[in-house]
Amino acid sequence: MQTLLGLLALPLALAQEPAPPPTPAGHGSYTIVHVAKSRRQTADHSKFKILKGPFKDSDGPAVTRACLTCHMKAAEQVMATSHWTWNIAKDGKDGFGKSTLLVNNYCISIIGGNTESCARCHAGYGFKDKSFDFTKQENVDCLVCHDTTGDYEKEKAGWPNPGVSLAEVAQKVGAPSNRNCGVCHFFGGGGDATKHGDLDDTILKAPRAEDVHMSRQGAGMDCIDCHASDAHKVGGPNYVVPADRREQAKFAGESVSRMSCAACHSDSPHKSYILNRHYQKVACQTCHIPTYARGTLPTNTFWDWASAGRLKNGRGYKEEDANGYEKYNSIHGEMIWARNVRPSYVWYNGTLKFTRLTDRITVPADGRVILNPAEGSYTDPNAKIWPFKFHEATQPFDPILQHFVAPYTAGPKGSGAYWGDWDWDVAIKMGMETAGLPYSGQHSFVKTSMLWPVTHMVAPKEQALACTECHKRNGLLAQVPGFYLLGRDHGAGVDLLGFGVILLTLLGVGIHGFIRFTHGRP
Amino acid sequence: MRRIVLYEGFERFWHWAQALIILTMMLTGFEVRGVGWHLFGFQRAVALHNILAVTLLVLIVFAIFWHFTTGEWRQYIPTRKFLREMIAFYVTGIFKGAPHPVRKHRMAKLNPLQRLAYFGFKVLIIPVQVTSGALYYYYPNLQHSLGWPPATLWVIAVVHVLGAFGLVAFLIGHVYLTTTGHTPLTNIKAMLTGWEELEDDAYFDET
Repeated sequence: MQTLLGLLALPLALAQEPAPPPTPAGHGSYTIVHVAKSRRQTADHSKFKILKGPFKDSDGPAVTRACLTCHMKAAEQVMATSHWTWNIAKDGKDGFGKSTLLVNNYCISIIGGNTESCARCHAGYGFKDKSFDFTKQENVDCLVCHDTTGDYEKEKAGWPNPGVSLAEVAQKVGAPSNRNCGVCHFFGGGGDATKHGDLDDTILKAPRAEDVHMSRQGAGMDCIDCHASDAHKVGGPNYVVPADRREQAKFAGESVSRMSCAACHSDSPHKSYILNRHYQKVACQTCHIPTYARGTLPTNTFWDWASAGRLKNGRGYKEEDANGYEKYNSIHGEMIWARNVRPSYVWYNGTLKFTRLTDRITVPADGRVILNPAEGSYTDPNAKIWPFKFHEATQPFDPILQHFVAPYTAGPKGSGAYWGDWDWDVAIKMGMETAGLPYSGQHSFVKTSMLWPVTHMVAPKEQALACTECHKRNGLLAQVPGFYLLGRDHGAGVDLLGFGVILLTLLGVGIHGFIRFTHGRP
Repeated sequence: MRRIVLYEGFERFWHWAQALIILTMMLTGFEVRGVGWHLFGFQRAVALHNILAVTLLVLIVFAIFWHFTTGEWRQYIPTRKFLREMIAFYVTGIFKGAPHPVRKHRMAKLNPLQRLAYFGFKVLIIPVQVTSGALYYYYPNLQHSLGWPPATLWVIAVVHVLGAFGLVAFLIGHVYLTTTGHTPLTNIKAMLTGWEELEDDAYFDET
């Protein structure tokens, strides 16, 4: 289910009937939000002749050309966003994004020849390698975000599945729903719930306890209610979640939107003054997302590339554990999956220092490289204690040139891809050649960790962390350094001195009283 | 012997209210420090501790007003007169049935050791606890605006906790010494009812 192959076979199959709006209950405003949404549409697209087609199978560009006859600036706008460039940097520099030299510890990198497979989540048509024309407007995929039927599916290089009736989809376009965002963002890392831990398709039918915002029993909000867009720039963090109350763009390309809790809830939402003051140093998410992966799906917490490639009769195989979670798959090695995971807590000021394939890496003494350490400390006024999913892995490394490598993984037998031919040396060599990067010819496997900020799946307030989860010895913040925390920190000397004084007083009083009473003079 | 009101109504109210407040602040304070008991629950303990701190401050303001308007503050002026004798009394005399070296009377109801102890309590322990407590409470604001290093909070906390331990020790000694009156309960009764029997000469000396 959570496999890469699963995604390959059923890339965007989330089609389902829209849930009927429930009666409004409790906190939240599902009905109001959704009535307002239905009014947004000012045109009935099924009345436009040009959208009746007919369109040839998979001819996405023809649909886009039709869209552009009215929305003539739309493609230009999309092309300025990271949904299109996969590289949020100006002037063609290496910024953040899948097209860049950034290395992760799930699928590692797309640039070693894997673009074609990965581009089924690209908001365009035909992205299979570096030769893709990023300036051709008709290559922009309008439907993946604006389909309201749930029938639209994408294939390799982002082409529409030939079985999709493009005319039907085109006539029913509308504002993006959770499903449109989810077809890609729920499936990061190659499968449902795999990557983020706080985003998976259980959110579409989540009970309130899983996500107070997105649940239809909760506020019934859509992704775009917070990730508001401006000229097709969808507000949101490009690899970096702002840690504090700042509402201005963090860097060029990020649009300003309702990207913080405080934007709706204010910075003092509690009745208690003391709770409100936690805002200064503690992210809302820290208390209000006590665990992630709270739906029915487990998220991947460990991915062991080093153990990939075990074969039975020359073929790859899979093994499931007692819960039905995939514990081994030849194409990616041993894996660990978990639900209801307690986050790790780290000082974070909004900057994660990502590692690139070109970075020279010194493997630390414990053998574990953190690919994107968080910056921040108690003394940093912008830093807060944030919850993170730590994703552990082993992944290929060039021990001679001391950098990470991008293997060519997704390809058929005979292509040289790891999943076809099971040979790391060939797969890495080909991958690094495609990426235009040096490779010494030798590889090893290095333990890596990655930090994923946890910010979705906000729990009902009754489930927020209690004071004593942190304000106690060996509590959740036991490892968070740099400050005195009531209930956690004691100072052995202080207790020794204090209880010593009390004990001595008791002893003195006891002896004095004893003598008094034995001398018959009470 | 003659019975007089040694502790007036406000004085008794002040004493017992202060006792109740400080005792509850000990319970709540040590609960949030995590010494092992869970009487109120962390959040309620914190809230109660803070409310009681303000209540105590209000009470102290009234007490200061009372002490100055009545002149009773003079009772706490430390003196070395009979100090040596008092120490000797507690160290040896009390065991031999020696008479109390200092007689109480209306205008000098505290012996030199009491004067020292309560004077220290009022000008040292309470101000230290009030100040460190206020700094603790407002630390987030102060740290933010004055740019204090993180270690400052540790220092404030240590001072506040040591003060609290000191208060516990004070309480133990204080309660024990109340039993050294004519009978073990004489002094507590006087503090409850206000009435105390004084020896005649002491009373008439004063009048």
